Amino acid sequence: MLTAGCLLAVAACSGGDGASEGTGTDGKPAHVSVWAWYPEFKGVVDAFNASHTDVQIDWTNVGTGPDQYAKLKTAFTAGTGAPDVAMVEFQEIPTFVILEALVDMGQYGANDDKDLYAEWAWSQATDGEKVYAIPVDGGPMALMYRKDLFDRFQIPVPRTWAEYADAAVRIKAADPGAYIASFGSDGGWINGLMWQAGCRPYGYSRAAAKEKVKINLTSPECKKVFDLHGGLVEKGLMAKDPFFTADATAALDSGKYWTWAAAGWTPGYVAGSLKNTAGKWAVAPMPQWTAGADDQGDWGGSTFTVTKQAKNPKAATEVARELFGSSKAAWDVGLNKAFLYPLVKNVAADPAFTGKAYDFFAGQKVNEIFVPVSEKLGEFQYTPFQDFVFGDLNDRSAEAMAGSRSWGSVLEETQKNVVAYAQQQGFTVTQ
Amino acid sequence: MTRALPGTAPKAGGAPGRRTVERVPRRRSRGVTAHSLAGMLFVLPFFLVVVAFLVVPLGFALYLSFFTKSLVLGSRFSGLDGYLRAFTDPLLLDGFLRVLLFGVVQIPVMLGIALAGALALDAITTRFAMLYRLFAFMPYAVPAVIGALMWGFLYSRTFGPFSGVTSLFGGDPVDFFSGPLLLVSLGNVVTWAWTGYNTIVMHSALQGVPREMYEAAVIDGASPVQIALRVKVPAIRQAISLAAIFTVIGTMQFFTEPQIMARFAPQISAGYTPNLYAYNQAFAYSNFNYSATISFTLGFVVFVVAYAFVFVSRRRGARS
Repeated sequence: MLTAGCLLAVAACSGGDGASEGTGTDGKPAHVSVWAWYPEFKGVVDAFNASHTDVQIDWTNVGTGPDQYAKLKTAFTAGTGAPDVAMVEFQEIPTFVILEALVDMGQYGANDDKDLYAEWAWSQATDGEKVYAIPVDGGPMALMYRKDLFDRFQIPVPRTWAEYADAAVRIKAADPGAYIASFGSDGGWINGLMWQAGCRPYGYSRAAAKEKVKINLTSPECKKVFDLHGGLVEKGLMAKDPFFTADATAALDSGKYWTWAAAGWTPGYVAGSLKNTAGKWAVAPMPQWTAGADDQGDWGGSTFTVTKQAKNPKAATEVARELFGSSKAAWDVGLNKAFLYPLVKNVAADPAFTGKAYDFFAGQKVNEIFVPVSEKLGEFQYTPFQDFVFGDLNDRSAEAMAGSRSWGSVLEETQKNVVAYAQQQGFTVTQ
Repeated sequence: MTRALPGTAPKAGGAPGRRTVERVPRRRSRGVTAHSLAGMLFVLPFFLVVVAFLVVPLGFALYLSFFTKSLVLGSRFSGLDGYLRAFTDPLLLDGFLRVLLFGVVQIPVMLGIALAGALALDAITTRFAMLYRLFAFMPYAVPAVIGALMWGFLYSRTFGPFSGVTSLFGGDPVDFFSGPLLLVSLGNVVTWAWTGYNTIVMHSALQGVPREMYEAAVIDGASPVQIALRVKVPAIRQAISLAAIFTVIGTMQFFTEPQIMARFAPQISAGYTPNLYAYNQAFAYSNFNYSATISFTLGFVVFVVAYAFVFVSRRRGARS
């Protein structure tokens, strides 16, 4: 009878009232498709499916970062083919919001989760009362360094960026083949350093004004980051290998790089690939621009979003909120196998996390450094065309690395290009 | 000529031709409709594939290219404005110039090596000839993505075999992805991948050349080098220009190698080649309309360049 009723009134069944939307009409669980590229994600999906009877997840990994976004953007343009729930990094949220691709989960009660998550993350995932994403993991930054080499050559661990520049000179003197670090051509990485320097180049709120965007890449706070790192590259004290290439990983593992301004997820990422130098690294707080200050930045991090193509947005919201959320089983996999940095405050504050000793860092409890960083992170916004901004910034930085552009002009040129692009897209640009 | 070439057979001799003429009216009498229906049925599968995968997508892309979509204002008809923008877009023009520079150097080098290879293969009469042909063709069988990744490692400053050469003399390892060397490095990958293919195309054409011509040249006292340059090369002129046209078109659409290698080489910018620019506009910036415009602009330029090439080579062929 129920099935026949559905056939007669499809709209009534697919719309449904609040209570029955979680489950399928015939008592079978609602199936929600998820795209995500987290490592070890199968365990998280299994944990969700085991603990839920009304909703089941069908998970696909369609590619990492840009590869997945390319597929998502195609599916949104086509009007079909997108999953119900998609993993999206923080810097991409405004882009998908302006593409009208995301469901406001606030209408399904997601605002209740506000206090669960780190403030900075919740503010990036939402626009006023509209909840476009549920935070999962973040990347509070700290300085990874080769403790054995710093000790052997009696170089003090830099507490300020001025000391960092001095250390770069001393490292070169200690080993002419070594560099303090690499300028990695990674939009998220340099963005984290700019964030830490107090640079707030972007501002956008879809809810406040769809056509207004703030772009100011040329403030002194932003410029000092490029002056310092560009200067080190020019003097040959900083290498030029892009991150996450075989060359950069080998350089980290061979003593060619002595430091890496890394993120909360980095320990998990590097522990598996740096076999020779495991146990020789340590983590220190980020060097500061002003001695004694406590300014912090973030590199990376991701969320779950519900797409406008979701057949059952309420069930999809349930998935986005509870896939990780406060699920103990999910975070067990997330922390101990995938090495995510949790944006759920309770999980991050749990002694099991903060007190965890890492063999890779010779038993150091590195989360004692990362957790306060995440708590200290303030407001930071992105543009609704962040791919273009990061792309242009990387291209201009690459020109500076190749010597065909001065480091001093990188931000000015990017500013010019981004403003032109924004205006061409119909935005009113403010500084 | 003692042996008729397969292509010329139907034209030669009057009898077979007359027989065909007789046969045609007899078939016609059975009914034109049945005949043409059968023909249409044979063509139908191909026709459907062409329409579904070529005509419709091309038409849709052309339609898209006449609209402008901006993030704030949405989609609106803009006619040829997009093309005006494309032809004055400095990033796109830079890409065209880069690809042109690339082609001017890489195409002659590659076709030269391929021709030399084909002539050498033709001269080899031992049973190793088959083996040589296989080796020459092998890089083409490697998918372009795999090839680009492989070369990424070969060019690596840490693992690559070439970087050590300068280290032997006390220098820094060569950075194959920096400055002017980047385009050379990419050209080398393309040459590696496609030389063998072109060698085989030219070698096949050489096999179709009647051996009697060489015998005649030998009797006339020509040296092997003279036979190669004065007899063989002119004989396969058509195959060479065909290979050249395909290469010109392929070069204008240069995409896979720079797209893959961008992860090792930050200097490969978003607009490094026109095709890469079209890809990034669509799949990174969601500007599908402008991407379609760039693609049609690129198609137009490819058409012009390819046609100009055919025109020039025909006139040259006619002169000689």
